[in-house]
Amino acid sequence: MKAPVLKTMEVRLTVNGQPQVWTIAPGDLLLDVLRREGYFGVKRGCENGECGACTILLNDKPVNTCLMFAAQVEGCGIVTVEGLADGAKLHPVQEAFLDHGAVQCGFCTPGMVLSAKALLDKCPHPTEEQVREALGGHLCRCTGYRKPVEAVLAAAKKAKRPRAAKPAEVTR
Amino acid sequence: MSGMRTVVGKNVHRVDGVKLVTGGAAFTDDIHLPGMLYGKILPSPHAHARIRHIDTRKAKALPGVHALLTYQDVPRVPHTTAGQAWPEPSPYDTYLLDSKVRFVGDRVAAVAAESRAIAERAIRLIEVDYEVLPAVFEIEQAMAPGAPVIHDEPDSTKIFDREHNIAGYILREIGDVEAGFRESDLIVEREFRTGRQQHCMLEPHVSIAWLDVNQRLVIRSSTQVPYHCRRQVAMILEMPVSRVHVIKPRIGGGFGGKQEMLLEDITGALAVASGRPVKIEYTREEEFYMARSRHPQILRMKMGVKRDGTVIASQLTVLATTGAYGSHSTTVQGNTGSKVLPLYRAPHMRFECHVVYTNCPVAGAFRGYGCPQGFFAQETLVDEIARELGIDPVEFHQRNVIRLGDIDRLSAQLGEGKEGLPRVIRSCGLPQTIERGAAAIGWDRRRKPAANGNGCRRGMGMACAMQGSGIAGIDWASAFLKINEDGSFFLQVGASDVGAGADTVLSQIAAETLGVTLDKIVITSGDTDTTPFDVGAYASSTTIISGGAVKKAAEKVRAQVLEVASRMLDAPAETLACANNEIFTTCACRKSVTMTQVAMQALYREKTQIMDGASHFNTDSPPPFCTTFAEVEVDTHTGRVRVLHLATAADPGTAINPMQAEGQVEGAVTQGLGYALTEELVLDSAGRPLNPNFLDYKIFSAKDMPKLTTILVETEEPLGPYGAKSISEVPINGVAPAIANAIFDAVGVRMRKLPIRPEDVLRALGAKQNGGEQ
Amino acid sequence: MFDSVEAFYRPASVHEALRLLQRGKGQTRVVAGGTDLVVEGDRSIRFLIDITHAGLTYIKRKATGLAIGATTTMAELEESALLGGLAGGLLARAAASCGSIQIRNMATLGGNMSNGSPAADMAVPLVALDAKVVIAGPRGRRTMPLTAYLAEPAEMRRRSLLVEVAIPEPPRDKRAGWSFQKFGRTALDIAVVSVAAGIGFGPRGRVKWARLALGAVAPAPLRIAAAEQALVGRVMDRAVMAEACAAVERAVHPITDVRATAEYRTELSRVLSGRALEECAGQAGWAL
Repeated sequence: MKAPVLKTMEVRLTVNGQPQVWTIAPGDLLLDVLRREGYFGVKRGCENGECGACTILLNDKPVNTCLMFAAQVEGCGIVTVEGLADGAKLHPVQEAFLDHGAVQCGFCTPGMVLSAKALLDKCPHPTEEQVREALGGHLCRCTGYRKPVEAVLAAAKKAKRPRAAKPAEVTR
Repeated sequence: MSGMRTVVGKNVHRVDGVKLVTGGAAFTDDIHLPGMLYGKILPSPHAHARIRHIDTRKAKALPGVHALLTYQDVPRVPHTTAGQAWPEPSPYDTYLLDSKVRFVGDRVAAVAAESRAIAERAIRLIEVDYEVLPAVFEIEQAMAPGAPVIHDEPDSTKIFDREHNIAGYILREIGDVEAGFRESDLIVEREFRTGRQQHCMLEPHVSIAWLDVNQRLVIRSSTQVPYHCRRQVAMILEMPVSRVHVIKPRIGGGFGGKQEMLLEDITGALAVASGRPVKIEYTREEEFYMARSRHPQILRMKMGVKRDGTVIASQLTVLATTGAYGSHSTTVQGNTGSKVLPLYRAPHMRFECHVVYTNCPVAGAFRGYGCPQGFFAQETLVDEIARELGIDPVEFHQRNVIRLGDIDRLSAQLGEGKEGLPRVIRSCGLPQTIERGAAAIGWDRRRKPAANGNGCRRGMGMACAMQGSGIAGIDWASAFLKINEDGSFFLQVGASDVGAGADTVLSQIAAETLGVTLDKIVITSGDTDTTPFDVGAYASSTTIISGGAVKKAAEKVRAQVLEVASRMLDAPAETLACANNEIFTTCACRKSVTMTQVAMQALYREKTQIMDGASHFNTDSPPPFCTTFAEVEVDTHTGRVRVLHLATAADPGTAINPMQAEGQVEGAVTQGLGYALTEELVLDSAGRPLNPNFLDYKIFSAKDMPKLTTILVETEEPLGPYGAKSISEVPINGVAPAIANAIFDAVGVRMRKLPIRPEDVLRALGAKQNGGEQ
Repeated sequence: MFDSVEAFYRPASVHEALRLLQRGKGQTRVVAGGTDLVVEGDRSIRFLIDITHAGLTYIKRKATGLAIGATTTMAELEESALLGGLAGGLLARAAASCGSIQIRNMATLGGNMSNGSPAADMAVPLVALDAKVVIAGPRGRRTMPLTAYLAEPAEMRRRSLLVEVAIPEPPRDKRAGWSFQKFGRTALDIAVVSVAAGIGFGPRGRVKWARLALGAVAPAPLRIAAAEQALVGRVMDRAVMAEACAAVERAVHPITDVRATAEYRTELSRVLSGRALEECAGQAGWAL
């Protein structure tokens, strides 16, 4: 059985629930392909797997796309931040980030939001330590992490009591 | 009306928040331009060398290479890369490309090619014959006679003493410090050293340049200073300013690292040379040593006090290095004197500073701008003095710090790069920040428990600090507003939201002044074609200066609105009020029209566009104040310092958006923690960076953070819109000294060098045990 | 970056992976999680072999102990109940310290071993547990001690395929304790020094067996036989512990790098070993 030597190859996967077929070079990195395909929410921060700005969910698990070959996601399902909101309706974690002032420059935000979502899907009532662990692989130079951690805890709490009132001072 | 604010002072959502949480295409690199090329800079492998010959033939012959520039291909225009108002106080010692390189990472050549891979390959094919020159990396060696002259080129200007590698020199005195020291009962003098901290903003520097259909050079760039970039690029590429268009999209953090014209010139030159759009984006590694960093300093601080703790004289002598180029060299160091010494009401103060060239990565603007270094020295020294006198540091500060109504005369001498203006303290929450911070940390319960089983000891420390809000007489801004049919207003500001939320705060100020809800303000910022001038986001100026311009413009537009409304309501304009998108008479019969009705009336009936703009600057720089308290636990067996709790109480004037202001405090404090404990760009003996990545240059993650308490002590500043001053820099200043003082409280060793690494603490503890000097 | 790669293979079996590895010679690399390979950035790579579909993701109990497939991720190791029950959960704890969640979801045990870093978080406890590796080659499978595998030059490791890590069951003692200590500059850091230790006690605090291994203090994780010998057969008290720690200090030969000086690493080796031994004693219910 001879494996063909290719300069391009096809990758079939699902992105945010939609089937995709990508044409890539075998050595293409997933981060580069995602941005080329228009998923600008996946960010290039360090290309070393240190900052987490390139994070997506691969089969529901947060991973750094800067360290993966695009070819590795053949047959997989991935979720990017673009897939979280339901039309105009934001995901509860996204809402919470806005309500709690957890977004400053916004560069690390998509990655953090995805990791937070992955955490809450697996563990609906996390401790603060678990939230810090979930956000541990996301470097942020703007917020000091306090408000993002509070936002995730608040989103978890709100999910417990879906009709809880929003803080009075928040206006849009 | 001040008690009835509807938008200012509220925790509104960021106006760009939805875009950011949904990953919207908002940042510089979030576009595809047809035919875009990838640019790459060839960095120098040597710290100091002349380029004898560059052979670019192989590189140019590589398929896919569209442009390749060396110093022979571009105009030679001396300039500074510092994003400062013209005439910049920094030396004009930099060239687009030069025949000499002055640090490892300096530009040798630049290439534009069809893919990143081709560009990377192309630069490796450039053959350079270097005449390697002796290099100098230490400040004192660089000043010594016989040291290699780093800037021996005759066409550079504004260098203080090029033969001795002195980029700048500052000497200022008020009163007579020698007399002051003679009067003092206790004099303490100590030396401190601070390290090379890197901004580490998550979005690296990135610029995209192209010639538009009118042959104008468009530059889309992650910059804090779009207008300065425009002026500088025009000058460097020898084209008229009107031919350059700079656009600032969302920025992924700046912190001063983007208060610089860093990539725009070379990207522009490549775009012109190739006729195609060109993008240069720094890799994280390049970001660490080819961008900017905080000025390392050696500080000798001497203070004289009376037995009762009154500060009589303070003297600070600084040796700083600006690296290979003098960007922000005198202005950062000027701050180390002008914003630090006047914290205490000493009648005698002296500040002297040499800023020296070394063949090291270039330093520049970084949050705090000279103050973190200065406050580290001063607040650590003050702690030592207070303890020596047996006075509680909290009490020592309360007794001696600057007060409401004081005039800071040192600032009159130390403007940023030139004669400044005296500072009058018109708002001051400093005493309350000390009090409330002390309560938050539990200062009263700081009794050292005996070391627990595994040798850990706890301690507390404090530090006070101040900063400025805009550069007096130099920072200025303008704003423009126009009405739309639906009662909304387009707000156009040159101000540069670097991620701190300027767009939101400025929109809040506009909305409050116009009497409309926040959703009725649509803001555009940082576009040199479509928004009016603004110096940019630095010196904590955006809220007070850009906000001041917004308020003025909104007041003028409000007057126009009232004029139209007065005709519609048949009532004098003076009897009308605006609130909640309505204009109404204040008498009992309350007639009203909506802003929408006014808009339609003006645009279609009166045939006039309600619009106006305003410019604004201040002749003073009201300081925000901050007190930091730290509780630490020192492991005496490993030297590890764990910060348990960091409480910051800050006076921002009015907090236009309290939640955002808190976020600024928390971000600043986190950078301060890294500056104090873990961050330093390390160079080897040949000037090469040893840790240019996040693996080896450690910044705090969510798992490292102590408990944070953030307290806003609001005051009302007459010079600021709605009483605002600023908040974004000052909280970084007190973190390192508060931690150093807490370490002393815990284990009795004085750490006077940053960063304070575990092995430094362990060594100091060992020296202490052996009765050593410390 | 990897613009020379001509083909990306996903063999469905070890046999096929080996065949591809043989064919490609020097310019072929095996990739599992990619967290080390991509960072390395070797532009000369022409062929990539993704072995995560070759049936090497498993944690199994065998007669002699546990067997872990090479492409098992750190996250899977961290969450494994089987691993949690071995040696006081030592390996699960070490896996949990291997970087961020994103890294742990991709990084594999095989990758961590074949990369051969002196600070490799998993290698240190595995060396303490006398782990063996199973290598698949053109002439079949062979088993060798992990320490021998780590001592091989990197090129040699790259030409073979590590398929399994086998961990012999440590001696079953009611009174046994295990400890993993890792010192980094921040919470997520490569170890400045790491320690894995295990002690089995007989009656009245007499040490029956001792395992002590350190990372980041030598070119490969180091088993400190002299320290183990200083403990075995003696009643563990602070003086005996100090002797063992002194032996550690003499045995390590760390380097100075941007993370720490050799001097500090040596001091830390002593201190962390002491803490590890204390934790073992505490777990085993032996009061010092």
